[in-house]
Amino acid sequence: MNIYLTDGTEGCFYTAAFSACTDRGCIVTSARTFQLPLGAQTVEVVEDEEKRERVRRKLRALDPPCLREIGLILRRGCQTREMTALAYLRRIVKAGGPVRDRLSDPAVLEATTELRKVTGEAHNFTGFLRFMEGANGVYYGPFAPDNDILELILPHFLKRFAVQPFVIHDTARRKAALYNGKDCILTRTEEKVSVALSDYEDSFQQLWKEYYNSVNIAQRPHERQMRGYMPVRYWKYMPEKQ
Amino acid sequence: MIDAARLKILTESAKYDVSCSSSGSARRNKGGLGDAAPAGICHSFTPDGRCVSLLKILQSNRCAYNCLYCPNRAEADVPRAAATPDEICELVVAFYKRNYIEGLFLSSAVDGSPDHTMEQMLETVIKLRKVYNFHGYIHLKGIPHADRLLASRAAQYVDRMSFNVEFPSEKSLRLLAPQKNKDSVLLPIRRLAEEKKMDGGKKGKGRKLFLPAGQTTQMIVGASPETDGQILRLSEALYRKFSLKRVYYSAYVPVVRHSLLPEKCTGLLREHRLYQADWLLRFYGFTAGELAPPGGNLPEEYDPKCAWALRNMQLFPVEVNTAPLEMLLRVPGIGAMGAYRIVKARKFASLRFEDLARMRVVLKRAKHFITCGGKFYGAERFSAVRTLLALESREETYEQLSFFSTPEAAHSALTGQL
Repeated sequence: MNIYLTDGTEGCFYTAAFSACTDRGCIVTSARTFQLPLGAQTVEVVEDEEKRERVRRKLRALDPPCLREIGLILRRGCQTREMTALAYLRRIVKAGGPVRDRLSDPAVLEATTELRKVTGEAHNFTGFLRFMEGANGVYYGPFAPDNDILELILPHFLKRFAVQPFVIHDTARRKAALYNGKDCILTRTEEKVSVALSDYEDSFQQLWKEYYNSVNIAQRPHERQMRGYMPVRYWKYMPEKQ
Repeated sequence: MIDAARLKILTESAKYDVSCSSSGSARRNKGGLGDAAPAGICHSFTPDGRCVSLLKILQSNRCAYNCLYCPNRAEADVPRAAATPDEICELVVAFYKRNYIEGLFLSSAVDGSPDHTMEQMLETVIKLRKVYNFHGYIHLKGIPHADRLLASRAAQYVDRMSFNVEFPSEKSLRLLAPQKNKDSVLLPIRRLAEEKKMDGGKKGKGRKLFLPAGQTTQMIVGASPETDGQILRLSEALYRKFSLKRVYYSAYVPVVRHSLLPEKCTGLLREHRLYQADWLLRFYGFTAGELAPPGGNLPEEYDPKCAWALRNMQLFPVEVNTAPLEMLLRVPGIGAMGAYRIVKARKFASLRFEDLARMRVVLKRAKHFITCGGKFYGAERFSAVRTLLALESREETYEQLSFFSTPEAAHSALTGQL
């Protein structure tokens, strides 16, 4: 039994999939805390352009939109994401065409569910992300999502705040997107960065808290529903929940 | 900048407006701040379980009207405040830049005359669009009796407008909101709907946006004696005639005591059942007549679809693998997403009972109304189905009435103050 260890990137996954696709019983993972089964052989996968491109070419020929879907599944924050993607990929190769409507197939259903978790969280964070105005006029927005969604939410904010310089910082994955009003770059960061806030920031946060408290109808409490829609783990960077 | 005290007054007066959706508009950012997301975005949720999407605020809560149920009515002794257009614009822009909100929901009490109020609101909206270069979502509440030109001018700048129907019948409206009448609430809705229809005929690049997210309305449930059957018929007519996007129902909360108004909150369950029925009207192909008789209410112990199915047991069970989509949509426990999923998946393989569970169909209800590959998994006897599907927590729906049931009575009993 082979264990393919990837570095977590999409390219590396496709390289591994080149041999893993037909390797029955193998495991592909990018987790570093993985418990090896007895008699397992580990294979460190190094990204190989030729293998990667052959897999992608094949998939593109069979079902073009599946590349995007696999890319999204690989952004999942759970350890089994590579296996979910691999099972989906195998299913496409076996059927020789698109399989996304075959929802009674467990592999397809699993892939669809995982994919929705990623896109769903990305949609949630277009609302739950909070910016703070920095002293230099740059808006700083930290967040710690479950899945790797920084690149997914970025286009939304680039369109919306086209003339406003901002930083979106994924503190869990230590990376950030920097935008100066014209260009946007992605960069690696420390987990914590200190940002000097502008003088108005505190008063606007106070106003926002005031607003949040006044708009609530106290006679109709339904805290369970609130937690369902806005899980507690997201509250860390929301001023109204401090 | 607006101070915290005034913000509190103006928001607390606006919070009973139910609508907070920001969907339906695809306004683009034209070199300024913001755009609109067609699917709508919720930015936060309050402890009452409602979402915060828009900054809900009144331009002013000084009111010339005396609607009995309203906390801001002319006779009420409440703190009054007003905000200038600039103050509101600044607040919207500051909140929007921090991604707190999706846009503005601007409403107002009738400050002076309806025309004056509407002019003030229009000024705010135009300033926000032109001076502050804001392209986010704006929902404007229409003021009854205001000039029609003001409403159609506003419609060119905002994404959505709403005139409140307030009550499901003209009689209650006359009784509880003496300055409003049927024409003052329905006429503006009709005019805007007609204008939007005319505007839809125009094509091409230079076309200006006219209410891209359409119109909505809101009515209070439980303050007047109308039945659910009447309410649903009214909603159905509003959807059909004026192509409204939504009708909002708000369960009556007694903020004001008056002999013409009920003492108690209307149950949230009733509001919930109305919303369920509303969804059935819009997405599941039901008609109001099928859901509730004209003089009757929706049953409390079953959801409206379940109740309909129990009344029409001769149509069930249906075979999941062959039933048409319209019939699948009518099976209790199968939602719109579930039905579309089933239709997609059954092309490739016949579906088994276990597959349905994995596809997020609520089998607890659905199993009594479907067969899977010819096999029936539900309860044998009809009476058993009825019992199994009734709402479990019956205690929650009824309340033992006592002398101290209303909060005010309880308070006065404690303090001795009358």
